[in-house]
Amino acid sequence: MRNITLSQAVNEALAEEMRRDETVFILGEDVAEAGTPFKVLSGLVEEFGTDRVVDTPIAEPGFMGIAVGAAMTGTRPVVDLMFGDFIFLIMDQLCNQAAKTHYMSGGKLNVPLVVRTNLGATRRSAAQHSQSLHALVAHIPGLKVALPSSAYEAKGLMKTAIRDNNPVVIFEDKLMYNDKAPVPEDEYLIPFGEANIKREGTDITLIGTSSMVQVCEKAAEILAAEGISAEVIDPRTIVPLDEKTLIESAKKTSRVIVVDEGHQSFGITGEIASRINEKAFYHLDGPVLRMGAMDVPVPFTPALEDLTVPTPEALAENARKLMSGEMIHAA
Amino acid sequence: MPLDVIMPALGMAQDTGLIVAWHKSPGDQVAEGDVLFEVETDKATMEVEAAGAGYLTDVAAEAGAEVPVGNVIARISETPEGTGTAAPAPASQANAQDDLPEGHSVIMPTLGMAQDTGLIVSWQKAPGEAVAADEVLFEVETDKSTVEVPAGFDGFFAAQLADAGEDIPVGQVIAIISAEKPATTVQRSAASTPAAPAPATPAPVAEKTEKPAPAAKAAAKPAVTSQDGRILASPKLRRLAMEQGLDLNRLVKAGHPQPYHVRDLDVLRNLPDETPAVSGVAASRRITAALPEDGFAEFMVWAAEQGFKDGSLLLAALAAASFGSQSAIEVEAFGASKLFASDGSLSGTETTEDEATLRIRDLRFCRISSVEMGSEDMPVLTLSKNASGLTVTLECGAHHLTAPEAVALISNFAGRIENPLRHLL
Repeated sequence: MRNITLSQAVNEALAEEMRRDETVFILGEDVAEAGTPFKVLSGLVEEFGTDRVVDTPIAEPGFMGIAVGAAMTGTRPVVDLMFGDFIFLIMDQLCNQAAKTHYMSGGKLNVPLVVRTNLGATRRSAAQHSQSLHALVAHIPGLKVALPSSAYEAKGLMKTAIRDNNPVVIFEDKLMYNDKAPVPEDEYLIPFGEANIKREGTDITLIGTSSMVQVCEKAAEILAAEGISAEVIDPRTIVPLDEKTLIESAKKTSRVIVVDEGHQSFGITGEIASRINEKAFYHLDGPVLRMGAMDVPVPFTPALEDLTVPTPEALAENARKLMSGEMIHAA
Repeated sequence: MPLDVIMPALGMAQDTGLIVAWHKSPGDQVAEGDVLFEVETDKATMEVEAAGAGYLTDVAAEAGAEVPVGNVIARISETPEGTGTAAPAPASQANAQDDLPEGHSVIMPTLGMAQDTGLIVSWQKAPGEAVAADEVLFEVETDKSTVEVPAGFDGFFAAQLADAGEDIPVGQVIAIISAEKPATTVQRSAASTPAAPAPATPAPVAEKTEKPAPAAKAAAKPAVTSQDGRILASPKLRRLAMEQGLDLNRLVKAGHPQPYHVRDLDVLRNLPDETPAVSGVAASRRITAALPEDGFAEFMVWAAEQGFKDGSLLLAALAAASFGSQSAIEVEAFGASKLFASDGSLSGTETTEDEATLRIRDLRFCRISSVEMGSEDMPVLTLSKNASGLTVTLECGAHHLTAPEAVALISNFAGRIENPLRHLL
């Protein structure tokens, strides 16, 4: 199997779906000639033309509104939101319109659109271009949320998102665009709501999303050297969430740490930890721990910025505490 | 940190060792490997070497004393003054510590002269099973051979304190045989045994380095208790405890540090049954020793020739010698009882009106082969006939004698009954 970058994987997914279905089109800032600041869309405008790869003014609420209307009337728009931080600008179009139209129209209207955007800190992009805001939209019923953890997931989840008849938001980690992973040349889709057990283990479950899957895998390596067998699970989509796989693993290992790059408070780590607590309570031998980004605006200073996100070392340390039975938060 | 000097186990079926001579005096400086004392067992006399350097202090047994195996008889201290405290009483047995059931301690025997550990190949009995003294309890592999080791005591395999596959220092207690069927059994590995068992000091015969006590990690946990008296335990542990009918309060009472997790379940499961203490019924001890031959009958003939025609007096003298000199012994025989004050010798034994501290019940001349009378107002040694020899049974209340004292008494008395002349000479 060839290795391609996450950028190439997304590009392939879009090209394949645009060839397959002529109602699929892309709109957003700098998507055509520029191919986005991350060069993810390079070459698409050459193949599909400016009618299907549409550059918009710098006006997120405007082009998001266009996309919602276009989706209701029979096309499959893919909205390119340059930074995940700009999601605040499209909240009404996304959460009040796109998410609720199918319900409020009594099922007569579908909104099959995809918002492609990103998350992730440590790119030295400062507080307004470094946030991981997937929890904001995961909170709204009617939206699906996918968090690819490698090029393989990025392609398979994107193709599934485009074919879904409901609005889907995909957050790619902007630090992973150049990371390569094995991706099949043959067409494949990754269904939503199916977690991927990246590594099997028996002592502790590490649940990670997006780039935190890599953090979990590195921590599992550290722990394996110490004789602790960690299971690493990537939920791949947080809405819908593959609760069954997570809970089965929690029952198996009795110990769980959930790692995500969103701010720790009121984030998805809390949501996942809580579900495990509710459904695997009598199988837990310690508290389900959350590890998210520090509850601060992401610093621009590199030395400080690096301190705000979970690291393999910090995760391994928490895993050791759980394993040792140490009192983690004194009662 | 002073080193304990213990009476080593030099033979497989050896309960005690006779100190022939001390080669060092209290306060003497000793180097590791110096000969401290000579021990005579039923087979040989051996020199016992110091396990470390320092000063010989706290000598608790004189030359001529017969000391139960595993007892601390002196210390090697950093100063000639020693610890200032007397060497621990012979009561410092493994079964006196923590949560182990009461009974005979079975130690890792010395099977070779230069051996300091033995590898347990397998256990031939499961905890809780009844064992006879001559039944094989476990197999030990040394550098030379694999040897089957008999239990050494009749009773029940109450505690298994080492796992098969573990390499155990010679002299360390690895099992406990209880007289009565235990309500709960202990099974754990030596590595997980909390604190250093008292008689675990490796036998001084072999050269060795001081091994760090296998202090359990769990013991290092800071003890946390909740303010309102709730037990801090994981949900999974609570569920398993409920399913298995175990009470977490017992972990609290045992002083086990919280919070509790699934791995503490083993500790809970192995806590000794506390029912007797709670119900207020005094615990009793019953130990039997079977003697293959009746050496006493022959002795009576010999003693009669010396002018000692009262068999009861002979028994009283032997019992006093076993129990501690200057004892008042009540001897019951043929339905009558006599009281003797004795200093342990035949000539120093005469009738008295003093209150007795030990009762001998002589049932050799009736058909009773086994007794289980329960604890009386004082310890009772019963003599009865078995197929070829005699059975000695000791019954007493737990408050009369500690387990090690009871073991020492019956082993000493049985030894004297089996071969009275040897002990008199």
